[in-house]
Amino acid sequence: MIGYIVRRIGVSILILFGVSLFIFALLHAIYPSPAIDVLGARANGALIKAFNKQNGFDDPWLVQYGRYIGNLLRGNLGYSYKLNQSVTSLINEVWARSAWLSGVSLVLSVVIAIPLGVYQAVRRNTIGDYVATGVAFSVYAMPVFFLGLILIQIFALDLHWFSFEGSQSTSVVGVIGDWHAMTLPVATLTLLTIASFSRYMRSTSMDVLAQDYIKVARAKGLPERLVLLRHLLRNACLPMVTLIGLSIPNLLAGNLITETLFNFRGLGLLFYTALQNVDYNVLLAYTLIGALLTIIGNLVADIALTVADPRIRLS
Amino acid sequence: MFQDGRRTRLARVGVAGAAALLAVGIAACTSSSGSSSPSSSSTASAGAGVAMTGQVGAVPDMATGAEKTGTVTVAAPPNSAPTWILPLVTGAADSVFDVDEFDYQMYRPLYWLVNGVEPTETPTMSLANDPTWSNGDKSVTFTLKSNYKWSNGDPITSADVLFWFYETKAALKESPANWAAYTPGLGVPDEVASISAPNATTVTMKLTKAVNPTWFMEDEIGDIQPWPSQAWNLDATGGKHITDWATNPADAKKIYDYLTVQSKSLSTYASNPLWQVVDGPYKLSAFTASTGAFTLVPNTTYGGPHATTESDVQFVPFTSDTAEYNALVDGSVDVGYVPLTNVPKLSTLTSKYNDFGYTDFGWNYVSYNFGDTTADFNNIIDKLYIRQALAHLEDEPGYIHAFFNGAGGQAFGPVPVLPKSPFTPATASTNPYPFSPSAASALLKANGWTVVPNGTDTCSKPGTGTGECGAGIPAGTKLAWNVDYVTDPAVIGEQVQDWASQAKTVGITMNLSSTNFDYAIANYNDPSSPKTVNKWAMDDFGGFTDSTYPTTFGVFNGPGSENLGDYNDPTANSLITSSISSPNPSAVTSEASYLTTQQPGLFQPNPDGGFGTASIVLWNKTISGSPQSFEGLTQDIWNPEYWFFTK
Repeated sequence: MIGYIVRRIGVSILILFGVSLFIFALLHAIYPSPAIDVLGARANGALIKAFNKQNGFDDPWLVQYGRYIGNLLRGNLGYSYKLNQSVTSLINEVWARSAWLSGVSLVLSVVIAIPLGVYQAVRRNTIGDYVATGVAFSVYAMPVFFLGLILIQIFALDLHWFSFEGSQSTSVVGVIGDWHAMTLPVATLTLLTIASFSRYMRSTSMDVLAQDYIKVARAKGLPERLVLLRHLLRNACLPMVTLIGLSIPNLLAGNLITETLFNFRGLGLLFYTALQNVDYNVLLAYTLIGALLTIIGNLVADIALTVADPRIRLS
Repeated sequence: MFQDGRRTRLARVGVAGAAALLAVGIAACTSSSGSSSPSSSSTASAGAGVAMTGQVGAVPDMATGAEKTGTVTVAAPPNSAPTWILPLVTGAADSVFDVDEFDYQMYRPLYWLVNGVEPTETPTMSLANDPTWSNGDKSVTFTLKSNYKWSNGDPITSADVLFWFYETKAALKESPANWAAYTPGLGVPDEVASISAPNATTVTMKLTKAVNPTWFMEDEIGDIQPWPSQAWNLDATGGKHITDWATNPADAKKIYDYLTVQSKSLSTYASNPLWQVVDGPYKLSAFTASTGAFTLVPNTTYGGPHATTESDVQFVPFTSDTAEYNALVDGSVDVGYVPLTNVPKLSTLTSKYNDFGYTDFGWNYVSYNFGDTTADFNNIIDKLYIRQALAHLEDEPGYIHAFFNGAGGQAFGPVPVLPKSPFTPATASTNPYPFSPSAASALLKANGWTVVPNGTDTCSKPGTGTGECGAGIPAGTKLAWNVDYVTDPAVIGEQVQDWASQAKTVGITMNLSSTNFDYAIANYNDPSSPKTVNKWAMDDFGGFTDSTYPTTFGVFNGPGSENLGDYNDPTANSLITSSISSPNPSAVTSEASYLTTQQPGLFQPNPDGGFGTASIVLWNKTISGSPQSFEGLTQDIWNPEYWFFTK
């Protein structure tokens, strides 16, 4: 296991380098220099040339990439000329907020979707199953923006039960404690995730329920509760482990729309702003973070699978 | 207006050395041996020949009764976070948010050149009296008013103006980009041969050559924001005060470098004692670097006009227009905006808010690239009849109705019809080329083109004679080229698509593509990006905000730093040069008139503006103040010092 993890980490580092090289080259091709951002739209060719020379933007792009990686290894993600702050401080300001929003949504989604999926499988083709399926399909088909707007209109603007915007606190502790402001953004993300997770869970549960060992367990007289908990749940959750691992980076990216709608500053919004501003260094840093999270999510999922299912051996 | 606040708006770029939103003073502004007040005939009648659409709502009179204080919450649009506090804004940080919403609240410019919606001076808000001219307009003198002082009790003196001047020179020596309003070789400081302070309140500038007094006052010295020479003359925190900045450029540079480092430290804006020395109506009491939220509290020593007791002002940033709209519906902000796309929903807000929409003083256009040689485009577009035909294909009233929801005004040249300016030419009030595809077709046919409706026209009569296509256009040349437009806001694309659609009906083929503002400015910009000169024929990125003396110097004279499409017309060059150098205070009117008829780009209608975007401004009905202070919001001018609560 340790050897496997070490090998995976080694491969992951190579993948990260590959991703960074690809993204750097791509960004460099469309946006070779931040000269106009720094110097203003009035900058003439001579001024731009002088800026590029002074700051190394006229070096070959591989040399610039090497310089970037060197800075990266020293913890320097570059500078945002548009926002006049270092990329590291920009990310530090918001990553915990995004992590909280994503984390709470993911936990709630798992806690609700798994039993819901099991219920639907056990009680399939009943009224309860049909209702849950209908709601899941409706929510899943709905764009996240639309769902959020509906929740805001009904629960914030009409009923005044919750705030129309996410927490404006700049501290994570403040965000965690502000349930009045965070309920709707969390609900928006959670509902959509439940809709998809519960469908997966229903499907895998139905597969497991058809297995012989379930029939044997029932034939032995085991209470249904124990059949579901000891035999069904553990086996049906295996695909969910992979799904959860791979959904971590998606949740961060999916946050963009939720953050924009609920006035909640997070990583997704930082990325979107950087995209509009062609804020080179922020785009690069965000992409690397996304790649890192994907790799970590994948690795965690693989390891979790071996823990959940001893039949799986990592080789 | 459309403004780059970055991001979500049409972009406006300050014209020719002027801070983006300073308005022009009129009659009282000039007094010299050779100048006279602008003639009233230069002011266009608002109703002459064009529908004056665009105004939405109205500004109520100031409430009488007790003036209560509180905290006014103001919605800050997406991407509007200030990123620079030193009152010498860099090119990178330049935006209406950084300058007007933030900087000007603390550090006032010498002249306050807007009065409500009108681009005219409000003398009581100017730090200096109007300048006097001598020596054939080569020498200018102005005196500082005695009622304004710094918040630490120091009077604002001529030394503070000189301090600004020498520090600006130090900044520009490091990089011309260190001051967004700087144009090399032009105006302040390059045309100032010497500057002196004969006494504590008087500043005299001797210039290298005679200038147009109106232009110099409104576009150049009007931009000056005095710096506190006794408080900021440091090269280190807690260091010794440097006094030889005027005579020792190295020391001036040290001061500038120190202040720049402090200005880059956003998290210390509210706590740094440097930034607590202000001459404006407000001081900064809180600033959140991660969000751009900030709070202003009244500067009790402010010497200008204001409400009996000023309220605090809290700028609340929003991540999207939707989130801001929800805040208005919820009633949790006092001052906000509604983008033009939401104008039909205004009625849901007017029970709680007053609303007002007015066009701002500026212009939007499609830039033509006179340097693009692809398929002889340069030889096509330099023909006036082609540009006239293109103008005939634009349906301004239709765009205002369909895309602006009625909240916009027509504009036919670089000086719009509204707001009224003393420099609006007579030609600006009537569309010289009204919407008429048949007129466009007739022009093309009359000049040797075979018009193929819904196809592509070709030149069938090459040559330079009457009825022929013109110089440089061989037989068979097609009227087909690419047109790029920025995608945000959507109204830009909507206008361009309709225009291209109309063009197709007379056989002009425009191949459309879209991009974002930053890419467009970086690449469809001949002075900055000569290598892409043949890759674009036309580009719509937005437009420019007029300074109150609305010369297009730098934009439509060749060569100009913002002459994106290399337009170069000797008559235009001469008129534009006269605008900034002749003694005629209304010289700019002739420039505007000529450009209106020449159409160096396709001038487009102006949407109602405010908050750096096309919008209707709203404010809580419990807030009152001078009507001009609310009207000014449409010009991106902020005067919350006049506001008070009525309950």
